[in-house]
This record gives sequence, structure tokens and C-alpha cells, in this order.
Amino acid sequence: MARIRPVDPAPVKPASAGLPPYPGDLTRESALVALFDQHYTGLLRLAVLLGADDAEDIVAEAFCQLYRRWNRLRSTEAALPYLRSVICNLVRMRVRHLQVVRKHTERPGGPTDSAESEALLREDQRALVNALKGLPARQREALVLRYWLSLRETEIAAAMGISCGAVKSHTARGMAALTRVLTGHSRLPGKEEEHR
Amino acid sequence: MTSPPTAEDRLREALDALATGVTADPGAYGRVSAEWRRRERRRRLVLAILVAVVFALADAVGLWALNHADSGSHIIFDGPAPVEEKRPVERVGQP
Repeated sequence: MARIRPVDPAPVKPASAGLPPYPGDLTRESALVALFDQHYTGLLRLAVLLGADDAEDIVAEAFCQLYRRWNRLRSTEAALPYLRSVICNLVRMRVRHLQVVRKHTERPGGPTDSAESEALLREDQRALVNALKGLPARQREALVLRYWLSLRETEIAAAMGISCGAVKSHTARGMAALTRVLTGHSRLPGKEEEHR
Repeated sequence: MTSPPTAEDRLREALDALATGVTADPGAYGRVSAEWRRRERRRRLVLAILVAVVFALADAVGLWALNHADSGSHIIFDGPAPVEEKRPVERVGQP
């Protein structure tokens, strides 16, 4: 789980790693160092907002996949959208895995709340975040990418691997569900909407 | 007079508030870069071992085929061997 601090936006400084890179990989290494320095915290926050319980591991896995497939990128600018897409996929897989585990263990109660990260939220914000967590994964991704990252529909579609029309549909359904919660009708859409 | 915040505004505010509480571990870069380099080394090592195994297998199969071949027959050319006519050589001088 990501380390939570009250208010301490300290920049992430790259530290020295254990093994030196291969001589031919210096370009890839320097590009990844720059990406890491600029976007690691944002990607970590994205993973937390999408509902990951192990956000640091997920972002680390995304960077490892980017390192392995660096030569297949169309351009250096495609690296950040690729990282976002990998994080969305990994969080979705992780959440589904946890849902299956919880179904088999039949633990009472809903999903585990990360109380640490929600300690600073107001009551209405906490209710909204809980409602967001209750949404199907696709709707939650669309809402987070749209309203937190302020991405365009084409960028959201690329990150989620779906069409622009599907992005509009997920955003509208998710927003409608959240509006129902905000106006007092606390019925959330069931998980049967997950695959619509 | 300001209008009341819409659901989108409230969602943005809540997401910002939740994201602000998340900060990165300062040692994250060292850990992640060590992991991707370790994976790269392992990938190259596995690839090298695979190539070596394929070469060794190819060598073994070739040696086995050579070892089991008939020593009397030609391996590459299976046609009849050309017969050279032996003629007496005319030489000048003492034999």
C-alpha cells in the first residue's frame, strides 16, 4: 500500500539502484528515469483512486513492463499512456481477483477500506468515495480518468482499451449512479452491469 | 452569487482530496529500477541458456547422425563415384 502522509508533496528523487544498466540500455534507462521522476507519484495516486490495495506494486509492475517493451513503443510520448493503460488493466485484474477471493472466503462486510488514505476526507467526500468504490470497475476507471486526470475521451478510450462510445456510456452510467447517491438514493448499480 | 457545486465538481474535489493524501516513498526508484534490471538480466540469461541448449541439441543430433552413418557410402553425394582410368605414363629417362 502506498505510504500516506498528511500534506508533504516532496518530489521523488531517483536513488541509485543495485545493478548497473547494460551499456546499450542507457537511452532507455535515462528516459525511464525522467518518466519515473515526473509521473511516479501521479501514477501511484491513479492506482489508489482506481481502488488498488497494493498501488506501489502495481505501478512498479507497470514500469517493469514498460522497460521490457520499450523498443515496441511508437514514440517516447506513448510511454505515459502505455503506463496508464497497464495500471488500469492491472488494477482491474487485481480487483476481480480480490472479489473472487472474498466470494469464496465469504468474509462479512464489504471491501476493505483504506482508512489511512481517507482520514483527511470530509464526511460527504468519504460517502462519495465509498460510492465510487461500489461502482463497476469500468465505470470507476472512466470517472477517475475523466474527472481526476481530465483526459479526453480518445485518451480514456486508449487507456481502457475500449471505444469512445463505450467511454461515454460508462461515464454517464457511473455519474448517474453517483448522482443518485448524492441526492439520497443510495442504491448502487449491481455488479451485473460490469460487462455491459 | 455562486451556483451550488455540481456532482462533477464534488467528484473532482473528493478525488483531489483523496489523491493529495497519497505520496510516494522516496526509495521507490531504487527498488523499482533494481527490479526491472533484475528482470532484464534474468530474461537475457534465460535467452542465452535457451540458445545454448538449442545449439547443443543440434550438435548432438548431427554427431549422432554421423556416428550411425555407413562408412562405406558417401554421405553427401549418393551417386556412383567416378572411375579414373589408369593409363601407363610415358616417362623419359630411367624408371
